[in-house]
Amino acid sequence: MKLLLAEDDAALAAELLRALRAEHFAVDHAVNGEDARHLGETEHYDAVILDLGLPVVDGVTVLRDWRTAGLTLPVLILTARDGWSDKVAGFKAGADDYLVKPFRVEELVIRLRALVRRASANGATRITCGPLVYDSGLGSFERDGLPLRLTGLEWRVLSCLILRKDVVVPRDQLIERVYDGDAEVDSNSVEVIITRLRRKIAPARIESVRGHGWRLHAEPDA
Amino acid sequence: MGRRRGASLQRRLFLGALVFVTLALVVAGLAIGLVLYRFARGQIDARLDGEIFAISADLKTGKDGPVLSYAHDGPPFDRPRSGWYWQVRTGEGILRSPSLGEAELTVPRGPEREDGRPAPADGTGPRGEGLILRVLRLAGPRDAPETVIVAAAPAATLHGPLREAGKTLTLALGLLGICLLAGIAVQVRLGLRPLDTLRRELAAVRAGQRDRVPEEQPQEIRPLVTELNLLLDQNAANLERARAHAANLAHGLKTPLATLAMAAERSAEPGLAPLVAAMDRQVRHHLRRARAAALGGPSRARADLAGQTRDLAAALARLHAERGLAIETEIAPGTSVACDAQDLDEMLGNLIDNACRWARSRVRIGAARSGALIELRVEDDGPGLSTDQVAHVLQRGRRLDESVPGDGFGLPITLELAELYGGDLSLERSDLGGLLARLRLPV
Repeated sequence: MKLLLAEDDAALAAELLRALRAEHFAVDHAVNGEDARHLGETEHYDAVILDLGLPVVDGVTVLRDWRTAGLTLPVLILTARDGWSDKVAGFKAGADDYLVKPFRVEELVIRLRALVRRASANGATRITCGPLVYDSGLGSFERDGLPLRLTGLEWRVLSCLILRKDVVVPRDQLIERVYDGDAEVDSNSVEVIITRLRRKIAPARIESVRGHGWRLHAEPDA
Repeated sequence: MGRRRGASLQRRLFLGALVFVTLALVVAGLAIGLVLYRFARGQIDARLDGEIFAISADLKTGKDGPVLSYAHDGPPFDRPRSGWYWQVRTGEGILRSPSLGEAELTVPRGPEREDGRPAPADGTGPRGEGLILRVLRLAGPRDAPETVIVAAAPAATLHGPLREAGKTLTLALGLLGICLLAGIAVQVRLGLRPLDTLRRELAAVRAGQRDRVPEEQPQEIRPLVTELNLLLDQNAANLERARAHAANLAHGLKTPLATLAMAAERSAEPGLAPLVAAMDRQVRHHLRRARAAALGGPSRARADLAGQTRDLAAALARLHAERGLAIETEIAPGTSVACDAQDLDEMLGNLIDNACRWARSRVRIGAARSGALIELRVEDDGPGLSTDQVAHVLQRGRRLDESVPGDGFGLPITLELAELYGGDLSLERSDLGGLLARLRLPV
């Protein structure tokens, strides 16, 4: 899962990037409103963490511009402004969630996962695909009732596929949601990750659709 | 205080007018009385003088005294004791009007006039009645004694009509005075009416029914109103600045605090996280206090209760999206309260948020008018609170359950704000099973 973090405070941003990456999220970081707006319009993100007090263009304006442009990506406002009027204004501008600083990382992560799940139109907190179960509250995978041990990149790929299970996820979209914006992307590495995942999740299958992308299946091929 | 001073202004104007009107009427009355007296006295004097001149022209000096060629007994000098008398005395010789009979008029010695005209004097008649006298002294030739001619009229002929005229005059002047004072009273009241209107308009500003005092005022009051409006604007600007300061302070403190909290969470030091949490509580507490203090008393704004509740319910439904709560809002559109919109958001937000935190599945919000207040009801189907817990939860900075997220200032802050606006907050058991919070705010 890939996030956009729009936060101008360098120290807080560093802590957040560390914490979110530890939770397997791929994160791009924008230090001002203009960059954040541009990234949100051009890249695919599963969710955005938006500070309201951004330099150059403030957070509410960024959010409003996205919504006016028809962008529906889920946005969590993370701000010091704890007044109810600020919260109402944030939601009216099109936010999906609102968290006040200081916050518990745990809560931020739970809320982000819930946002992503709701945005992918999956009502339940647990998504099942054959023997595979994804708990969006905990962000954990199980196979046949046992916890599945995954690396960060494996987790990103699998969560992206299971949220869109039975649907083909295009290759470039998957790559976009797996790697940080500034990471070097080796075109073969996704294939390597997929191969490793296939071993771990069998009998569930990741089907390759030539020239297009991948699809997560519950049933093995007949 | 203001009311009492207002009344005394009216009284002062009226009492001032009363003194001057009374003084003017008394002086006018005296002047008119004097003129009347002079006129009436002049009439009588002229008549007496006519008699005296007729007698003196007819007067001869005989052997035994003065002699007149005819009786000079035309009415009213013929009627005995009529009060109209004349008398001529030369030495021992005396002549009298028939009305005088055998009585004799005592003539006071007075200054003699040089111009040969009769002099005025007062005397007493044979019946003891007051008399107005005219006295003419004619010096006799050589050693002969002087001749004194006296004519008298009853003082009653002067004072009677004068008294009658005085009565009429007093009555007329009294009526005039009452009319003048009534006019002044009406004028004072009308003149001071704009002040009363101004007071009502100011009260409306204070109650939040309007922003400023209207500038269409009498010329004398307009500068006062302009100053008042400037003061109101300045107050609003100060409030806005204080709020902006509090918000900036919050932002400035909270971002590093968030960083610190995250660093503390990572660190192995066990005492750090509670310390950061305590710092956060302190910062929030004092920022909210600062915000409430920046208010400085009831604001003159009005807030749309129905609309803001709807917006907050929508926001809270999203904040608690994972819980799948049903938030029912039943408030008539257009319902408003005399309260600053941000403060209303704080109070409502805290109450609805609290209900959402504790609710199992339902939160119900309703509003009803009771007298000069609007009562807002927020209820949930959660576990509710006992009486002891209610007292505890409304204490500043306390929190019932430390494990449920929330800063614990919500309800005391709401109570504090409500009281600042002349309302209040009470907590009881709802028939949904959970807590029912009644927030009362002025309309």
